[in-house]
Amino acid sequence: MGLDGQGLATDAATVQVIATIIKFVIIFILCMQVPPLMVWVERRAPALMQRRKGPNRVGIGKWRLYGLMQSLADAIKLIFKEEVVPEGANRAFYHIAPIFAVFPAFLIACAIPYGHTMQLFGYTIPLSIVDIDVGFLFIFAFSSLAVYGVTLAGWASNSKYSLLGALRASAQMISYEIPLGLSLIPIVLIFGTLDLNQIVVAQSAWIWKWGVIKAPISFLIFLICMFAETNRAPFDLAEGESELVAGFHTEFNSAKFAAFFLAEYVSMFILSLLAATIFFGGWQIPFVPYHALLVVTGGLTWLASLIGFVVLILKACFFMFLYVWVRWTLPRFRYDQLMSLGWKFMLPLGLANVFITAVVVAAIQFG
Amino acid sequence: MTQQVLFYIFAALITLCSIGVITVRNPVTAAMYLVSDLFLLAGIYAMMQAHFVAAIQILVYAGAIVVLFIFVIMLLNLGPEARQRLKIPAPELAVLVITTIAFIGVAIMMTNGQPTVPVGALTPKAVQAAGGNTYVVGMVLFTKYLWPFELSSMLILLATIASVVIAKKDKAKAVKSTRKEQTLTSPAASSDCVEAAAPASLSNGKVVHGTR
Amino acid sequence: MNPYLPVLIVLLFGIFLGGVFSALAAFVNRRRITDSVKLEPFECGVPAIGERDKMSVKFYLTAILFILFDIETVFLYLWAMTFKELGWFGISEVFVFLVILVAGYVYVVKRGALEWD
Repeated sequence: MGLDGQGLATDAATVQVIATIIKFVIIFILCMQVPPLMVWVERRAPALMQRRKGPNRVGIGKWRLYGLMQSLADAIKLIFKEEVVPEGANRAFYHIAPIFAVFPAFLIACAIPYGHTMQLFGYTIPLSIVDIDVGFLFIFAFSSLAVYGVTLAGWASNSKYSLLGALRASAQMISYEIPLGLSLIPIVLIFGTLDLNQIVVAQSAWIWKWGVIKAPISFLIFLICMFAETNRAPFDLAEGESELVAGFHTEFNSAKFAAFFLAEYVSMFILSLLAATIFFGGWQIPFVPYHALLVVTGGLTWLASLIGFVVLILKACFFMFLYVWVRWTLPRFRYDQLMSLGWKFMLPLGLANVFITAVVVAAIQFG
Repeated sequence: MTQQVLFYIFAALITLCSIGVITVRNPVTAAMYLVSDLFLLAGIYAMMQAHFVAAIQILVYAGAIVVLFIFVIMLLNLGPEARQRLKIPAPELAVLVITTIAFIGVAIMMTNGQPTVPVGALTPKAVQAAGGNTYVVGMVLFTKYLWPFELSSMLILLATIASVVIAKKDKAKAVKSTRKEQTLTSPAASSDCVEAAAPASLSNGKVVHGTR
Repeated sequence: MNPYLPVLIVLLFGIFLGGVFSALAAFVNRRRITDSVKLEPFECGVPAIGERDKMSVKFYLTAILFILFDIETVFLYLWAMTFKELGWFGISEVFVFLVILVAGYVYVVKRGALEWD
């Protein structure tokens, strides 16, 4: 541990560890705000789309607050509900399954760059918590672990409808993981790196360099697979309210249901952040390059990074609204239609996209 | 030094989880122990600076192959095994002990008790300078090991065809046998029982209503 | 600093958070449930019918095909990283690879293994 003139510890490793913990606390608090807000949005937005008002009474004291406290009321109610473990359920897995649903989402949240690397008190602090050079593959590895939460939950419930719902949901999730992976290969071909930090920097502030313009079909495939991976929007047969009751989480009450709920919304948020990072320039403000931003903020890198962070969150919020919009607009797919779409349309489209992009990029780069 | 300590921790945990895989009675619990095994193995790869292999280990092995195992366990509706006493006959036990000792002895002789370190172009700094872990693996795969790469595609093709043949063959037979059963049982059902409320179908496909 | 140290911290924290939710459910409002009707698996009010029967083999086929195409995706990622250096030679290599795999895929589709799941 080195000491500088004022006796402060200047050991880079310790500082990085403290910075990591602070970054993670901020990201965690951010992610925990998402489910309550989304619950409110999910009830007000479709209400307004359907020309009615959603919940608008639960507020604080005599201020209605547009019903924003509804989420708090729901959360408190959920925690105090009775937990009924069905008989014959495998106790160990019944209690462990929510953990498998929750932790992959938070791990993926850590691999996303939230802003430009900043200089604070003389230390260079990168704004992604986990800085591994195999960025994408790390994200895919942990999103493929989310299948276990669903499968174990359904199996541990000792109910054949839960098991069927869980098997269908996990078969759907793994079927759409392949087109998801294939859709990001053209991005690697174009930008030449797996590291998300470098991809965001490569998509500078000019919109024609963003991922969505350079690889539009990839974006389309990624968007559709995003909906399918989180069991949302037109792909929610396995947990839809009118089929199979609630699917794999039928037998889970109170806080465990809250855990699955939380995991679903946090994964939606994570995938929205990922879509914004890869295809929409991440923390780049459109038409304001980073050096211009530095001039505006007077050279304060932390302020520029903060502005970039806010811009990224705004882009992710757009995708979250898209989730809600699509859910309340499109009818649900039947399960066999869903699987046919994944295997017979998305997979060949993904492969063709990879090959055509490779030929085009090769033609541009080396004639 | 920390690497060695970390390695021994990982190795001990992997051994415990592997023993768990073969001794627990519930097959899904065994599959979950296997997942933790693979996770820890990915940790060892990461410790050796093989980041690509670590990520792929979790992506393919823990995220796809064990999912397949779990699907099969649920398909076959396997329950926990009955508790039984572990009986290993003396000759087998002797072979097991001798093999373990020999294995440890060979490992010690090969490494002289020292952990081996990568040299030359494989040191982490050299790999990083060459363009990162994935890049180096890719370059070696597509230039030096091109033939094994193309042959692996044949292996994947083989696996695809084999799995479809095995799975679909049973289904074709099952469909034919149920159709035969239906045509055999329906005339018997319609011949008796005057008060049959449900319409029965004769083998030529016509629907007969019960006479009331 | 080891790049995997944050991974470990976040992993432990995620497991801790999931555990907190599970424990919260198990310990708040904790009471022995003696009413056996509540303990039955939910089946819209009627008693559960029959045993768990065998699930179809379509799930097995989906899982195996997922493994195979996942491995193919991994190889494609490796190629995508080294794309610039390998140039047209690399594209032709991967073209051969993809042709063999697409042949397998066409066989699977024609054989009807991906039907009505």
